[in-house]
Amino acid sequence: MTAKANRWPLSPKLVGLGSLVLFFLLLEAVIRIGLISRYVVPPPSEILESFYGIIVHEHVFRRFLLTAGECLAAGVLITIFGVAGGVLLHRSELLRRACETWVASLAAAPIVLAYPLFMVLFGRNSWTIIIIGFIAGLPPVMLKTLEGIAGTRRVLINVGRSFNLTPTQQFWKIQLPAALPVIFTGIRLGLIFALINVVGVEFLINAGGLGPLINDLAERYDLAGTYAAICFVILVSVLFYMTLERAERWLRPAN
Amino acid sequence: MADPILVVDDIVVSFDTTEGPIAAVDHVTFDVRPGEFLSVIGPSGCGKSTVFNVIGGLLSHSHGIVSVSGEAINGPHKSIGMVFQEESTFPWRTVIDNVAFPLELNGLPRRERNERAKHFIAMVGLAGFENRYPGELSGGMRQRVSLARTLASEPKILLMDEPFAALDEQTRLLLGDKVLQIQQQLHQTTLLITHNITEAVQMSDRILVMTYRPGRVKRIVEIHLPRPRSSDIVSSDAFGHYVAEVWSDLREEASRGMEDAERHALGTAGEAS
Amino acid sequence: MAATGQLTRKAAGVPFDPVTMLRVAIVAATLIVWEALSRSGWFYRDVIPSLWSIAKAVYALLTQGTFYFDLGVTAAEIGAALLIGGGLGLVAGILLGGSRFLSQAYETYLYYLGPTPKIIFFPVMIMWFGVGPESKVALGALSCFFPVALSVAAGMRQIDKVLIRVGRSFRARPWQMIVKIYLPAMRHPIVNGIRLGFGVALIGTLLAETKLSNMGIGFRIINAYSTFDIPRMYAMLIVLFVLAIAVNALIGRLGGLGAVKR
Repeated sequence: MTAKANRWPLSPKLVGLGSLVLFFLLLEAVIRIGLISRYVVPPPSEILESFYGIIVHEHVFRRFLLTAGECLAAGVLITIFGVAGGVLLHRSELLRRACETWVASLAAAPIVLAYPLFMVLFGRNSWTIIIIGFIAGLPPVMLKTLEGIAGTRRVLINVGRSFNLTPTQQFWKIQLPAALPVIFTGIRLGLIFALINVVGVEFLINAGGLGPLINDLAERYDLAGTYAAICFVILVSVLFYMTLERAERWLRPAN
Repeated sequence: MADPILVVDDIVVSFDTTEGPIAAVDHVTFDVRPGEFLSVIGPSGCGKSTVFNVIGGLLSHSHGIVSVSGEAINGPHKSIGMVFQEESTFPWRTVIDNVAFPLELNGLPRRERNERAKHFIAMVGLAGFENRYPGELSGGMRQRVSLARTLASEPKILLMDEPFAALDEQTRLLLGDKVLQIQQQLHQTTLLITHNITEAVQMSDRILVMTYRPGRVKRIVEIHLPRPRSSDIVSSDAFGHYVAEVWSDLREEASRGMEDAERHALGTAGEAS
Repeated sequence: MAATGQLTRKAAGVPFDPVTMLRVAIVAATLIVWEALSRSGWFYRDVIPSLWSIAKAVYALLTQGTFYFDLGVTAAEIGAALLIGGGLGLVAGILLGGSRFLSQAYETYLYYLGPTPKIIFFPVMIMWFGVGPESKVALGALSCFFPVALSVAAGMRQIDKVLIRVGRSFRARPWQMIVKIYLPAMRHPIVNGIRLGFGVALIGTLLAETKLSNMGIGFRIINAYSTFDIPRMYAMLIVLFVLAIAVNALIGRLGGLGAVKR
């Protein structure tokens, strides 16, 4: 029962964006008046100016490439081991029954808290960062691969049978292609977890690309710069998710 | 003849759409007498469910009056009990707590409301299932729980919107028997919204046929079949005669509805390409 | 979890259930490889401590009063974070779930900010709230606000509309609608949101403690790292993981997830 379709005088998206802009303008005003100390929250205009500074002076591009490289390395590992692991779990019923819940609880465990441990094992460098990103992103890829392959529609498998496909052909020609959309959802989730953990650990151990930038600026007490760096990292992550979502929608057959 | 208990007087309901306002219900007038079983039948899209929601007080109308025992309604009325087409039991409540829900709202003590709920659970034939959750029951059983819940509020008028639409044909016939039996036992005034002709003929004293968009009253057919009735009646000649009569009225409206749907599908296909 | 619980229970009478055997074999193999690596002498001292020294460290940790003080500090921080962030998230979720306009205006921002790494806000939290427990609570609250808000908003929209109509048809009063229909219908998403919120509040609070603080489990972990007391670090991580899993399961149990069927 849809009672009278509601008509808004303004598009909600516009109102959302507008109120956000208004909020920043108000913040600017409140700080300039002195109600909030500019040594606690710098005016948004200064943060905007600092963007230029951090882009030019802080080698942001190089840092971004390093972080992106770490994510990519973690992503490649996640994809290879995650898909292989999922296939393995699907192939061996015994293994699946023994380990599936373990993988699921690994997904829920706060692995990143063990980062000092990884520092002991691998040192304060990109390896630690990549390994933590890898472990954080592995479970969703494994579980989604398993879910996708196990969820192949019965009728498609019967079609394969009717063409006398061998089990290997059955897997490559039917099950894997049918499972691909679900697997990609897993990879997207895995990459998001990897990015969160890569940037977080970079910041915590002060090594790698974008994470230490925030540390450096905070230690120099460059307030506007710190805020700008945080905004920059958030911006990069949001763009990353949006790209992944687009890619997923593009890869997924229309439904 | 007794005064009508429910009067629907000249109601109009229109919806705003992207192509401007559309009248879903257009000057509909009818009444229901005490103890009567009246069905409203029409093709899908004729505004039957809108009539249901207006009488139930869940939807406001732009013109006309709905009154119960001479009192104009404004929102849900305590004399009207609604049974919905959709699955509407509370999954987090047991059968008895579902049925006791209206009594609980009125602040009845637990002991008393459980006793009364048990009475209505037995009436719909679910004795022994009091402590089950809806998830453990079949669709037909869940719909009987909804019916018992509404009966427990002891409404003067039982208002049902295609309560059996989601069920298979056999369950539907058996449930129809159950409703008839309860209606005759309680002398329950009942208003049934349906698109099923046999169901309407089997149960009703009168059938109101609605036109397809905008929904108007096309005709009211009186059903003079003996009571008490059961689903056995479907094999009688008189029954067949009434079905044919209602169908001849309905056929034109249903085919208009179908043509409209086809045109609409073509239109959207045109937009998509 | 429940499924395997049943599997193992069913197999309890049979001593050689293959699933249990495989599990035991995997655990045993891991422990043996660990112990072998620990004794191999390939690693710098204590990088891979022997099982015995880890067990001793766990025992020492649990019999020490100071550990419980730090555990209490961290638990209080997480509790406060969950209360503040979860409470605000609940309110925001109800607003977003209840209004299509607000949801269209603001939910995308929450949706995209949700999965960003919250720990990088820590320098800002220090500026606002100082180096004490307050900044850890703030970071934890910031972390758990998003999953709770998004989960509650989605849950509110998923309520079967017909149940609301049932309530109205029986003329339920507004508070009756909230207590008897909205809240029970939303129990799953609310409990799930709290569960997710607990997970990220725990991570946020503890990571903040490892970064800068002078008490709490996170501080003790990083302290063990810098004094190279590796067995103690393992011990704390083990205890922490066990506690985290237990609380997570407890929230699920208290929320009665799985008890309601449809």
